Amino acid sequence: MSGDPDLWEIVGISFQVSGTAILISAPAALLIAFSLAYFNFPGRRALISLFNTLLSFPAVVVGLIIYILLSNQGPLGNFRLLFTQSAMIIAQCVLCLPILIAMGHAAFQSADQRAWETARTLGKSPFGAFSLIVLEIRFGLLAALFSGFGRIIAEVGASMMVGGNILHHTRNIPTAIALETSKGNFSQGIALGIVLVVLAFVLNLLLQHFQGRGKLAL
Amino acid sequence: MISSGSVSFTAISHSFGSRKILDNLSIDLEPGKVVLLSGENGSGKTTLLRILAGLLKPDTGYVDTGSGLLSWRKSRAKLISNFIYLHQTPYMFEGSVYRNLSIATSCVRGYENRKNRVLDAMEWAMLGGHRFAEAKTLSGGQQQRVSLARAWLRQPPYILLDEPTANMDSKSARRTLQLLEKLKHTNIGLIISSHIQHQFDSLADDHLELKDFQLSFLNARQFSGNVTPISRDREIV
Repeated sequence: MSGDPDLWEIVGISFQVSGTAILISAPAALLIAFSLAYFNFPGRRALISLFNTLLSFPAVVVGLIIYILLSNQGPLGNFRLLFTQSAMIIAQCVLCLPILIAMGHAAFQSADQRAWETARTLGKSPFGAFSLIVLEIRFGLLAALFSGFGRIIAEVGASMMVGGNILHHTRNIPTAIALETSKGNFSQGIALGIVLVVLAFVLNLLLQHFQGRGKLAL
Repeated sequence: MISSGSVSFTAISHSFGSRKILDNLSIDLEPGKVVLLSGENGSGKTTLLRILAGLLKPDTGYVDTGSGLLSWRKSRAKLISNFIYLHQTPYMFEGSVYRNLSIATSCVRGYENRKNRVLDAMEWAMLGGHRFAEAKTLSGGQQQRVSLARAWLRQPPYILLDEPTANMDSKSARRTLQLLEKLKHTNIGLIISSHIQHQFDSLADDHLELKDFQLSFLNARQFSGNVTPISRDREIV
């Protein structure tokens, strides 16, 4: 495993695509989660329900929708993004956004209302107060990031459909496992599977670490 | 026109659902004056203070900060910059007492200046030995002093205090009162809501009672403000 450059390239593509998707989604998700938690506006409850529903949206359906949008006949076909890493990033953004928003919303709701009021009354601008609150609930927000990353790095449906599983370009860990298994090349599939399992284990350890911080039942 | 630094609130009404809390009340505030606000639990003291601080939008209400009578919504930014509202249980941000005080120095330029201001505030609030202490682990009385020191650092025209000595032992309450006395002498207007009225007898200039959704004067030692249902002669901008 250690000497197989193709395998490490696949691992690299996985991290590059999923890492970019998280970096793009996180700021938007943070602002949406904050707005849902702190501002009362028409349609707020409907939006919360929508994002909670999207949490369980099948990855393959997201892949199908993005595929239709990016295909030659689709409204975004002119951009020629289908079967590129950009298409995978778009699909993974759509997949992780609801998790980031739902968990971020819960984190902002858990923040003490007095924190916002104290920050504002002490002369902080709305953005300054927002930054202070983000620092106060950073462990909850980090947990949201790890959960979102955990979902998209291991999903196969959307990546396969919009990425096309092209070696050196769009083949990531889950699509490579699916391919190697279908070819009967189990050793390669198991090696990649171990990478995913170790990653899942590390992410869960970090998740538990951050979720446990600052909250002690007794 | 109201005098310089004074703030006048008119026709403040607020309800929570069908439950009326404040009904068309008015209040004039002056810097350097201490107003004690009393009333039974649930009479609307906290609601009124939060409206004055710009934190809670009333159903109706107008504010005159010297530039004519404006709606509460239009005056909100000015209220937030002119008033500091201190919660009954102050909120302590994560980190040390020093960090908590630093948060109130965002308008002070330069690291050394900010540091000196924070150290001055710690001395002012008798918190000298707690610079590196985790603020959340302090006692209620010490947290109240951190809260007052944060307000002192900002030097606002008005500080609104919600039950500042509630759940405190007599020693902590005495220290808090000492700080309030010092604040009074810096020409900061204090509006103190409390059900322990005797603690503030020597401090308060005016004593208002909130009862039946309205404000009324009690034992005004130096009558300076007015409490009227609504100033109809004022032009609303």
